[in-house]
Amino acid sequence: MSEKIYAWLLRLYPSHFREAFGDDALQLFRDRSRDETGCLSRLRLWFDLLSELALSVPREYFRVQPELVTYSAHLRPDGVPSFFVLAGDSLGSGALLFGSAVTLAALITFSVLLNHGVRHVPLSALVRATPNAAKEPWSQSSAPAREPVRNSQGQAVSPASGEQPGMAENSSQFENANASDSSSNALQPPGMTPPFKQQNRQPQGIVSPATANTKLDAAERYRVIDGAVANLKQHYVYPDLAQKMADALRTHAKNGDDDAVTDRQEFANLLTRQMREVSPDRHLTLDYSEAPLPKHSAEPTPEELARYREAMKQQDCTFEKIETLPHNIGYLKLNSFPDVSVCQATAAAAMASLNHADAIVFDLRDNRGGQPAMVAFMASYLFDHPEYLYNPRENTTEKSWTHSPVPGNRLANKPVYVLTSARTLSGAEQFSYDLKMLKRATLVGETTGGAAHSGVWHRIDDHFGMGIPETEAINPFSKTDWAEVGVQPDVKVNAGDALGTAVRLAERKLQKK
Amino acid sequence: MPKQKLNPLPSAAFQILLALAGEELHGYGIMRQVAEQTDGRMRLGPGTLYSSIRTLLEARLIQENEPREDAKLGGERRRYYRLTSAGRKLARSEAERLADLLRVARAKKILRGQYV
Repeated sequence: MSEKIYAWLLRLYPSHFREAFGDDALQLFRDRSRDETGCLSRLRLWFDLLSELALSVPREYFRVQPELVTYSAHLRPDGVPSFFVLAGDSLGSGALLFGSAVTLAALITFSVLLNHGVRHVPLSALVRATPNAAKEPWSQSSAPAREPVRNSQGQAVSPASGEQPGMAENSSQFENANASDSSSNALQPPGMTPPFKQQNRQPQGIVSPATANTKLDAAERYRVIDGAVANLKQHYVYPDLAQKMADALRTHAKNGDDDAVTDRQEFANLLTRQMREVSPDRHLTLDYSEAPLPKHSAEPTPEELARYREAMKQQDCTFEKIETLPHNIGYLKLNSFPDVSVCQATAAAAMASLNHADAIVFDLRDNRGGQPAMVAFMASYLFDHPEYLYNPRENTTEKSWTHSPVPGNRLANKPVYVLTSARTLSGAEQFSYDLKMLKRATLVGETTGGAAHSGVWHRIDDHFGMGIPETEAINPFSKTDWAEVGVQPDVKVNAGDALGTAVRLAERKLQKK
Repeated sequence: MPKQKLNPLPSAAFQILLALAGEELHGYGIMRQVAEQTDGRMRLGPGTLYSSIRTLLEARLIQENEPREDAKLGGERRRYYRLTSAGRKLARSEAERLADLLRVARAKKILRGQYV
């Protein structure tokens, strides 16, 4: 036994020593243990060995092997410059100290730079900077998949642009899909699922070429207000309130309340505030876009559809990661809720691959929304009976319900954790909000971005537009939803720590069982 | 390189040279001999022992003989070491250096007469 211990301790020596003298050292140990019997002698033996070990191990490591130096030099072929890399002397303490200092400095610099860089991720900065940013897709940094369809957008680079198939990760798609569902004059091309539906409404009001270069003048202000009034009267869900809001806008204009404003974005915010003074409706917005809003809506062409399919295929339908973590916890990182008609098989396969899990973590920290149909599709796996999913854009319809139970699914009663961040938007917020309200999931992370997008988008002119709620969706859970305020997590931690926290919670829960 | 390691000669290396002055010994034999000649004050552990042996081998102060069994210690084959002439010379010069030191110490009345 003690020989084994010593043999193990011998492994502390460098290999060149062990190879040369390892057997001899063991032999010597055997000799001494044989000769030095008795408790005291044995104790002395081990004291000798251990104290000697402490001294001679470092010495062996600092030992430079002269034979190695000369041998490697001999190996060099003739004519090729060769260098003696190992010096005859061991390194001086000054050189070691200098080396350590340089290494330390490099490490510190690297980590500082790394942290510094992370703070400047433009995406999160944008979302955090202005509460409205989430509602203005054109101000969000564009994801690679969105780029190809950007130029194909029809009516909108605005919330209404969500019809475009390539914009699955764009929060606006979610909104617009809903918008089309609930608006009576939405066109539904045969065989198309919601994100492909078109809203072919002609914009109310005047088309005016406002540019960022000129200052906002009285004429333009009146044009925008006229457009807003017309849109309100025609589309707002409550006609009497629409009338009151229209009156308020005109009264403010007449009183000169708007005159001081020359910045268009500020003007849009001011009009939004004036309307909300009449009725505090978070879903009613008036927005400004510096980039001109396209005039005509266009249906996605077959090429665009093909492009969308290809983009989704390349990105695995934005199912970024599917893993089984220790303790049989399923982990799914989903970066959008893509079109069901394209991604249903992928989504089903993803859920099937996690069917064995004892708990499941949905990572929606980078999920910017998508299609409510996909939200319902994913949520279907978490219930054993059809469950109503509130969606601020939609009245109770068939689509508001999950398709539970899913045959063969075993996740309906497993603990669910949803990871959120300030970049979690729109459809991802619907998923989080409804699961939280149904007490089906524990939300871990940050308050979400607050993009509810329940208004249908209406163009006023090239740069101004309005989001107007046209239906009254009934929220069974609470008076307000996540519009502008976001969804509050159950466990508030930094987004970066959310996974670790959720896994710990899941493990604790599974251990209790 | 070995010269640097052996200048000044570490006491362990000197003791090993002295131990081998009489006869060739294997590692354990050296260890026991050193313990004996220092009245048990120096017990060489395997690390120090073999590291010193290696240094002395590299400096050609000792050399290794064919491994053979030690009749008293059972059937294992052991490597035996013996002093080279260079080793004997170095041991002698080290002893002389110490003797010189001793003379100085005695002249300075650090040592009491009866000891050496």
